[in-house]
This record gives sequence, C-alpha cells and structure tokens, in this order.
Amino acid sequence: MTADAFIFWFLSLVAVMSGLSVVMMANPIYSALSLAMTMVSLAALFATMGAYFIAGVQVIVYAGAVMVLFVIVLMLFDLREETKAFTRGQISGAIKLAMVGFLAGLVVFVLTQGVKLMAAPDVVDAAKLPEDSSKALGLILFNRHVFGFEALGVLLLVVAVGTVALARSKGGTHAKQ
Amino acid sequence: MPSSEIVNQIGLSHYLVLSAVLFMMGFLGVLLRRNVLVMMMCIELMLNAVNLAFIAFSKFSGRIDGQIMVFFVMTIAAAEAAVGLAIIVSIFKRFREVNIRFFEHLKG
Amino acid sequence: MNHSLLMATLLLSPFVGFLINGFRYRKNGPNLSGWLATTAIAISFICSVLLVADLVGMPVENRRIAVSFFDWLTVDKLKIAAGFVVDPISAIMILVITGVGTLIHLFSIGYMHHDKGVAKYFAYLNLFVFNMLILVLGDSLLTMFVGWEGVGLCSYLLIGFWFTDKDKAAAGMKAFITNRIGDAAFLLGMFLLFMTFGTLNFHDLNQLAPTLPEASWLGAATLGTLLLFIGATGKSAQIPLYVWLPDAMAGPTPVSALIHAATMVTAGIYMIVRLNAMFMAAPNTMMVIAVIGAATALMAASIGMTQWDIKKVLAYSTVSQLGYMFLAAGVGAFGVAMFHLMTHAFFKALMFLGSGSVIHAMHEEQDIRKMGGLKKYMPITHITFFFGWLAIIGMPPFAGFFSKDEILWKAMSSPLGHPLLWVAGVLGAVMTAFYMTRLMALTFWGKSRVPKEVHPHESPALMTIPLIVLGILSIVGGWLGINHAISSILPGHPANVLEHWLGPVLLEPSLEGVHQSMTMEWALMGVSVGLAAISAFVAYHFYVRSPETPQKISEALGPVYRLVSKKYLVDELYAGTIINPLVAFSRNLWQHIDVQVIDKTTYLLADLMKGGGSVVRGLQTGNMQQYAMYIGLGLVAILSFVIMR
Repeated sequence: MTADAFIFWFLSLVAVMSGLSVVMMANPIYSALSLAMTMVSLAALFATMGAYFIAGVQVIVYAGAVMVLFVIVLMLFDLREETKAFTRGQISGAIKLAMVGFLAGLVVFVLTQGVKLMAAPDVVDAAKLPEDSSKALGLILFNRHVFGFEALGVLLLVVAVGTVALARSKGGTHAKQ
Repeated sequence: MPSSEIVNQIGLSHYLVLSAVLFMMGFLGVLLRRNVLVMMMCIELMLNAVNLAFIAFSKFSGRIDGQIMVFFVMTIAAAEAAVGLAIIVSIFKRFREVNIRFFEHLKG
Repeated sequence: MNHSLLMATLLLSPFVGFLINGFRYRKNGPNLSGWLATTAIAISFICSVLLVADLVGMPVENRRIAVSFFDWLTVDKLKIAAGFVVDPISAIMILVITGVGTLIHLFSIGYMHHDKGVAKYFAYLNLFVFNMLILVLGDSLLTMFVGWEGVGLCSYLLIGFWFTDKDKAAAGMKAFITNRIGDAAFLLGMFLLFMTFGTLNFHDLNQLAPTLPEASWLGAATLGTLLLFIGATGKSAQIPLYVWLPDAMAGPTPVSALIHAATMVTAGIYMIVRLNAMFMAAPNTMMVIAVIGAATALMAASIGMTQWDIKKVLAYSTVSQLGYMFLAAGVGAFGVAMFHLMTHAFFKALMFLGSGSVIHAMHEEQDIRKMGGLKKYMPITHITFFFGWLAIIGMPPFAGFFSKDEILWKAMSSPLGHPLLWVAGVLGAVMTAFYMTRLMALTFWGKSRVPKEVHPHESPALMTIPLIVLGILSIVGGWLGINHAISSILPGHPANVLEHWLGPVLLEPSLEGVHQSMTMEWALMGVSVGLAAISAFVAYHFYVRSPETPQKISEALGPVYRLVSKKYLVDELYAGTIINPLVAFSRNLWQHIDVQVIDKTTYLLADLMKGGGSVVRGLQTGNMQQYAMYIGLGLVAILSFVIMR
C-alpha cells in the first residue's frame, strides 16, 4: 500500500468511527467531542487533497468555534434526567434504519458500479490543481464571487445581532424586561 | 480480497463513498436521536460530508470552484448553527426540555 | 327622404322613449314622461305617413320599401337579416299602430296622472310599440317572432302593472304563459317551414308556396300553417287559448285599448295575411281557421251578454270580433280581414278609452250595475261611445257596417266559404248588437244607479280629445272599403280604396266560375242589418224600459244562464285537466327526486370529502423525525425508480 493510500484509509477510518460515535453515544458531550474528532480528520483529508486553506478554516472555524459553542450550550443544560438516547418506537426505528441503509447502499452502488463520473480516469492528476491553492482561492473569491462574499458578511452581521436578541433573558424582541 | 487497484489507487469514487457514508450516518442520527442538540450536531455532520464531496470534485476536476463552494457552505453552516443554538436556548428556557418528544405542536 | 333613415327613426323613436323613461323611471314625473312617450310615438307616426306616402307614389307591381340594416344570423342555410319591409299590408298596420298609439298615449297622460309608477308605465308602453313595429315590419318569420315575443313580454309587464295586487299579477302570468304555449307551436311551425322551404323570408315563402303539389293533412304547408295558426290563437285570443284576454283587463285601461284591442291581438291576423300564399296552399288549415273563428265569435259573444264588468264585456267583444277577422281570413278574404282589423282598432280603442273615462269618473268602479244615466254627466264620452256602439253593431254608414258586412258576404260567397259560416256570423252579429246595446243602456241611459258618494264628471280635455278623434275615425274609417254593391248606388261611385290598395299583393281565391249575384249581396246585407237592429231594439227595451224582463229570462234559463255567465267553465276545465295535474306532478318531482335524491347525493359527496380529509389529516403528527423519514422514503423511491429504469 502506498503512503497516500494508507493516509487516506487511516483518516477515513477515523472519520467513520468518530461519526458513528456521534450518532451512537448516549452522552451528548461525548457526541460533541466525537464530532470535533470527525471534523479534524476531515480537515486532514482536505489537506491531503491540497485544499490547505480550507483545511485550516475547517479546524479554526468548525472544530474551534462551532463545536465549542455546542459544548457551551450543552453545559448550559443540566441533563442528568436524560435516560434514553434514541426516540421511542421500535418499528419506526427499524424502518428508519432499514431505509437509511438501503439509501446508502443505493448511493454507493451508483458511485462504484454506475455511470462513469468523470470523462478522464479518476486518478489524481497533480499537475492540474494549482499548487498555491490559497492564492488561487483568494483571487477567485475576490474577483468573481465578491458579491457573495459581501453578502456573507451581511449574513454574519445579521446572525450576530439576531442571536444576541434571541438569547437574552426574556428572549425574542421584547423592548423592555 | 479487494483488488489492489481499489486499495492503492485512491480515486474520486473513494472520496464520494466516504462522503456518502458520513452523510447517511448523519441522516440516521437526525432520524433517531431525541436530544435536539445532538440532532443539530448530526446536521453539522451531514454538512461536513457534503464539504468533503465538494473538495473531492474540486481536486479531481482541477477547478478551484469546489473550494469556493465549501467556503460558503462553511460560513453559512456556522451562522445557522449559531442561530439554531440561540433558538434552542430560548426553547429550553421556556420549556425546560430538550427532548423533541415534547415539541409536537404542528400536530393536526 | 332616405328610406333607411325613415325606417330607423320609425323603429328607434319608441325605443329611445323607452330608454329615457326606463332609466329615469323614478325621477320622471307624469307630465314629462307622458309627453316624452307621446312625442316618441308621434314621431313614428310622421315617419309612417312619409313612408306610406312614398309607397303610394310607387308603381302598383312593385310597392315595396325594403330596408336591411345588418346581417343578423348566418348559419349554414339560414340567413336572417335585420330587414324591414313596408308594403301595402304593413302600411296599414304601422299607420294604425302609431296613429291609434299616439292617441292612446295622449289619453294615458290624463288617465295615469296620479299613479306612482307613471314613468315605468310609459316606458313599457313605448317598448311595446317598438316591439309591435318590429313584428309588423319584419321581413322574415324570425324577425317577426322577435317582435312577437317582445309584445308578449310587454303585455305581461303592463297587465301586471299593479303587481302588488296578487290577482293582477296572476293575470299577467296567465297571459304570458298562455302566449308561450302558442309561441311553442309558432316555433314548431317555423321549424317545419324552414325544413321544407329552406327560408323564413316572407317574400320567398309566398313565392315558393304555390309550388307545393299536395294539400293533404300531413303536408308540410298544412302542418306548418296549422302550427303557426295555433300560435296565432295564443296571441289573438281564439279558441283554445283565449282565456287570458278577459283576465288581462286587470291592467290599466289604456293598455287594454292599445294592446288588447287595437294592436297586439291583431298580430295573429297580420301573420296569416302576410303568409297569404302559404295559407292558400293549405285549404285544410283555412277550413280550421274559419271554423274556429266562427266558433270563437259565437262563444265570446254569448259570454259577453252575461258580464257585469264594463271592461269584461268589451274584452269578450274583442275576442268575438277577432273571431270575425279569422273567419274572413279562413275563407280567403284577407283584404277584408285587414279592413275589419282597421275599423275594429278604431271603434274598440274608442270604446275602451271611453270606458276608461267612465271608470275614472266613477272613481275606479267598473260594475255596470252601479252605473246608469251617465250621459248627462259625461256628454263627450257618451257621444263618442255612441258612435263606437253604432259602428260595432254594424249600422250604416258607420265603419263597422262596411267591414263586418263584407266578412259575412265573403263567408257565404267565397269558394272557401259555407252558408253555415254565414249563419254563425249573423248569429254573432245579433248577439253583439244585444250585449253592446245592453252595455250602453246600463252605463249611459236610463235611471241612474250611481251610489251617492260618487260624483261623476266629464274627463279633462287630454282624455276627451283622443275620444273625439277616434269617434270621427269610427264614422269615416269604413268609407275606405265601400264594396261594389253599395258604391253602385252612391253618387260618384266611390272606388273601393282598400281593395285597390291590397288586392295586388294578396293571393285570394279566384272568383272565376263563381256566380256573384248582387241581389244576393243586397239580400244578405239587409238580413244582417235588420236582425242586428231588432236585437238592439230588444236590448234597449229590456234594459231601459223594463229591467225586470231580462232578470226573469235569466232565472227561467237558470242552469244555462249560470253556465254562460261562468264562461262555460273553460278556465275551470283547464285548471282541472292540465294545470293542477302539472303542478301536482312538479311538486312530486320536487319532493321525491330533488330533495331525496339530488340533495342527498350532494350531501353524501360532501361527507365523503370531509371523511377523506380527516383521514389524510392523520399524517400530520407533529413528529418532525417522522417527516424526515417520509422525506427519506421518498428519496429511496425516486432513486430506485431512476436506477432501475
């Protein structure tokens, strides 16, 4: 097995295992930490694929900020009484499991056996992707997609204000206490 | 035994299968878990799986647009997580519960 | 003058009057609306005079003014235009309609002065004249039918004018429905004629009629004309559809004068005269027409002898006189029928207006048992009514004598005539003289039986001037048709104006080979006039000199008298055999089918929908994860479908 292949298989194993933990663990804090692990492993995968900037952003924003936020909120709730992790209803649960399994099987089947996804052989062609992907990313982001970028900025502003308004002691848009 | 080509030559389909598996796991979590916060986390997992697919496409087609897409998805996912959490906090303050079993107000 | 312009003005002037009075029916007062309406008809009268004057100047072979305004219907073979024709026949009609109409409108201004709905009344009256003009001027059966229906509508509106009174409203309904039955037959006749000849145009139909070989009962011409005649019995109040005319007296008296004496009821006669060649091609129908005409004349006259309401007497008299007109048409004397139509219009309108004047003076009292001796209170009304009376009983030289006598002569002498028809006609004339004299005696002559509270007085000038004009016409109107026998003894030998006017355009039975004896003509004339004079004298004796005699006679004839005075129980017969069963049947239909079946079915459907809705509602559990599961399941289905394909 080549080194690249080994890294891929290892990282994907880590990602799948931690993803499974997110779903299966009863304690929500454990789920949160598993999700963080998933994100880190995905960041590593991004890095192997040459998307360095994205990998960095993934770690900083997702694993660093979003997951921390989740953990903070989890800690805000005192969830000692939580006994069951999964929704009740055995039959519907079984149906859901079966359905998701079948769907996954379908998708994988299509991906592996079905239509050729790319015209050229789907092998990594190192010459194609620009080496300095961050620079290329920046150039395109601020040239072609500058409007979207600015819109994102407005979105974040609105979200910030809205979140603060929502999470106040009385919550919502009450002017006074 | 799987042929050595599949194991050694990591192609687009590998990444896409991984992405699909992660996505389906997240979907399962959304369907099965009771805790609202864990459901939100499973949604984040689904979004991450999609990001992976985008990056894989970007790499194998040689175009940088996939990474732009991931950039946007990530930002919006973060914003959505923030707002969602704020709402959950408000709900918890009101109902003292995070079990979605108690939130069937759309019934009928 | 431009014929199109004249024709358009002639037709549209009453319509404009209708629109103005109709839209402002609350605001227009009696004088404004009345004079507006009268002026509208007067304008039409002037246009008619101008058109007829032009017509007179045209050569005899081609006396037609035809104006077509636009193409109305073109469907396959059916081509109907909005075309109107003035020829000698319609010339008489438009002069009568607009002339007598103007006088009646004038009378109405005074008569309806105190009524609250005056503007509406004049609007309806104008609309009526408009429709009547369409009826007589139309150049095809369909155009005529438009006017035919229109006058039926206006008749209904005007009879039930005081619709807050249930009986009056019911009278209006009766008129309309009876007319409708006739109209259904009329339509069937139209269909049949169109199927046979491929046209509804009068000119074409008359040209094509003689080409038919047959004359049997089931031939197209016979059936078609028979059906048209049934329509005519509805409109012109003959047996069996005459029952609406006496009830129609519920409307205002000028309406009775205009519609139910002078114009609308003559529409049936006009239609037959218009299609003279077609009817001549169907001798069986002609026989039916003559027999029904004579029978109606007799029956109505007999009922008229027993009635106590002044307007009802005149109504039955109208039915009877219409019978005479149909008798004339039935024996082929179309010109004479038109002659009697014209003279009847004059003296019957005169008498109706006169009765209106009397009713007005008697404060809406119509029972002649409560009248009497009115001649000293209402001299003008009395004198004009007197002329009308002399005209209707057929005394020379008044108008009715000439026209009625011609009818009786033709009933005997025409190739299609029969002595029995003459006998029936004379009998009817005797009864006519009797009941009209009775009416005069009980209303105007003898001792006054007027109740003390009522102070009869003469009517204002607005009402008496039309009476005077019509009175003069009742005297001179007959002089247009002086027949050959009489003119031979008069100095100057005046020509029979009407015969020369109408002769060229009418197809009448040919008189060759039939011996026309002038002696017989004089003899028959003498017999009928003499009998009528005797009958009048008898009636005068009964009702002025010894009032107990008629009472004793009516008691002696007990059951017969009762039968006749109850109008031979015809209304009751219709009610019992036709109307009540139909109503009961409809009621049953309503109760059993409509309520039980149809309504229940719709309720069932509604309940099904509601049930289905609540079943589907069960899908909304509010469980968000279940919704996500449904999404997933849908995704699975779609993907499988796409992959398997």
